Amino acid sequence: MILRDPAEALDPRVQRLWLVQNLLVAAFVALLVGAGAAIAVVAGSTTAAWLVGAVGGAVVLALVPLAVLAARLDYRHFRYEVMGLGLYVASGWLWRSHQVVPHARVQTVDTTAGPLLRAFGLVSVHVRTASAHGGTSIPGLPPDVADRLVEELARRAGIEEGT
Amino acid sequence: MNDVALEGRLHPLAVLVIARRFVGLSMVPALVIFLSAGARVIVPAVLLALLVGVPLAILSWWRFRYRVGGGRLELHSGVVSRSVRTIPLERVRGIDVTEPFLHRLLGLVRVEVEAAAGGGESAELSLAAVSRAQADELREALLGSARAAEEEAAEPPPLYRASPRLLALGGITSLSYLLAPAAILGVAFNLADDLPGRFVERAAESAADRFPTDAVGLVVVGAAVAALVLVAAAAGSLLVDWDFTLRDEGERLLASRGLFTRRLVNLDRSRIRGVDVRDTLLRRPLRLAAVTAIAAGVRGRSGGTLLAPVIRAGGLPGLLRAVDPLAPDPGAPLAAHPPAARSRRFVRALALPLAGLAVALALGVWWGAAVALAAVALALLLGLDRYRQLGHAFDGRRLALREGSLRRRRTELDPDGAVSFELRTSPGQRRAGVATLTVHLGQGAGSRRALDLGEEQAAALLGDVRPELFGPLLPAG
Repeated sequence: MILRDPAEALDPRVQRLWLVQNLLVAAFVALLVGAGAAIAVVAGSTTAAWLVGAVGGAVVLALVPLAVLAARLDYRHFRYEVMGLGLYVASGWLWRSHQVVPHARVQTVDTTAGPLLRAFGLVSVHVRTASAHGGTSIPGLPPDVADRLVEELARRAGIEEGT
Repeated sequence: MNDVALEGRLHPLAVLVIARRFVGLSMVPALVIFLSAGARVIVPAVLLALLVGVPLAILSWWRFRYRVGGGRLELHSGVVSRSVRTIPLERVRGIDVTEPFLHRLLGLVRVEVEAAAGGGESAELSLAAVSRAQADELREALLGSARAAEEEAAEPPPLYRASPRLLALGGITSLSYLLAPAAILGVAFNLADDLPGRFVERAAESAADRFPTDAVGLVVVGAAVAALVLVAAAAGSLLVDWDFTLRDEGERLLASRGLFTRRLVNLDRSRIRGVDVRDTLLRRPLRLAAVTAIAAGVRGRSGGTLLAPVIRAGGLPGLLRAVDPLAPDPGAPLAAHPPAARSRRFVRALALPLAGLAVALALGVWWGAAVALAAVALALLLGLDRYRQLGHAFDGRRLALREGSLRRRRTELDPDGAVSFELRTSPGQRRAGVATLTVHLGQGAGSRRALDLGEEQAAALLGDVRPELFGPLLPAG
């Protein structure tokens, strides 16, 4: 551990959101496996269909516990903190990243809430710098926390509130 | 100042340039028609293209006007639907003047105005063909002070100028120029699959039939191919970078280069975030390197930030200091990364050759095993050198980073220009106790990294580079 971890955690509800997202991916893979098996049957090779079904089924079955685990670990390892001079965000459990964005470099701070986020009553905060890769986002905050965060980040960055 | 300072059209001969662009666009379809349908269709097709293309080119020339005044640049254009593009002059970041081959024959130049758009992006406005005098007027009107520098009787010597000998040497030691023939061959064979008629296949087959099988013949062919590759590499370098000259124009650096197509590139000093010094395994023993600026807001146009295509190590400190007065000595020693970084380089370099060796041994292919063994030995050397080249240093103002072996890069950058700092670790890196520090530079300048820093090194470096930012995050003491 080189840098201490940031203080704040995300809203715990984000775990369920990420679980749903991960399960959707698993469902998509299951769909692909099913389609592959169906194609094999139509092509007249039952052995290939069984093979695709068995291997694909095993992958999908492995994906389900992984989806549960990943959602929990992603939540546990995502932390953020507004420091005096910058925004500090730590994320990821296998590939960990600790990122500091100086307030002075922030160009825009905005919030988004897609349909899935809205279903869980959450919003995402995006911090953009003058770079495609230098920015960061904080996914999954309750709206009031997100609003306060945006306000504070914008104030520290010296951005006039546009909306 | 609301009056119009400058107003004009493209040069009348620009019609030819515009028409040529139409021809270029219709080249591929025309070729396809020609190859599949033959000459009977091509003649009416060409006539039709001329009948439509020439009036269209004349019309679009007629409709195109530029105007500088009232603090902005306006471009009026459009044949069917008219458009006006307006850019405030303070947004203009630079002007590129290029002379493609056709332009040179006509005595014209192409002017590209680069401007900052919203959100840190950049937009480019292009004036397809104007006279040299018009280009000078535009440059003066858009960038202001440039004229004063030009009128000085005694022009200061350039910061850098490439001699033909140096460029030829640079060509034959540049991996990209040496590999270019292979790339061209690859493209040719790819095209061969798509083209009807099997021209390329037949040529390859006849070449294979005549390929010599005796030792003398093989040596002769090998030497001829090697000589051809070297000549092509030298010629490529000379063609692209002929008389490369870098001049100091106060707030801007001006680079010009090219034999047939001459390019002039302006680079604002205020946009330079740092400098990359690159070399290759071939250039290292000759003490040659290439220098590029890391600049914000310059789009990924090839060579837009090139400061010197080939330079001798002796001239390097002077050039770097002329670009950035605070640049540290490019020969200064760097702190080495911990031994764990070496093991990781070995693992990466050896994985593929060792796998190849295992497969060859399992299949009992002895010559394959011998080749794989040689590859393992080379990979060991490569891994060792990759580790030895890793290094970093911070002198209080500039951060120096180095990595790479076959293509080595030493970067000097100003950490105050960074838009964010990121410390990344993979599971393997955490086990080995190392981390990668990435400095994001922003506005298209990309990022630079220090690969596999030791944990204490990373902490010390972050604390040195931005104490006010990282001090509170580092363990006390």
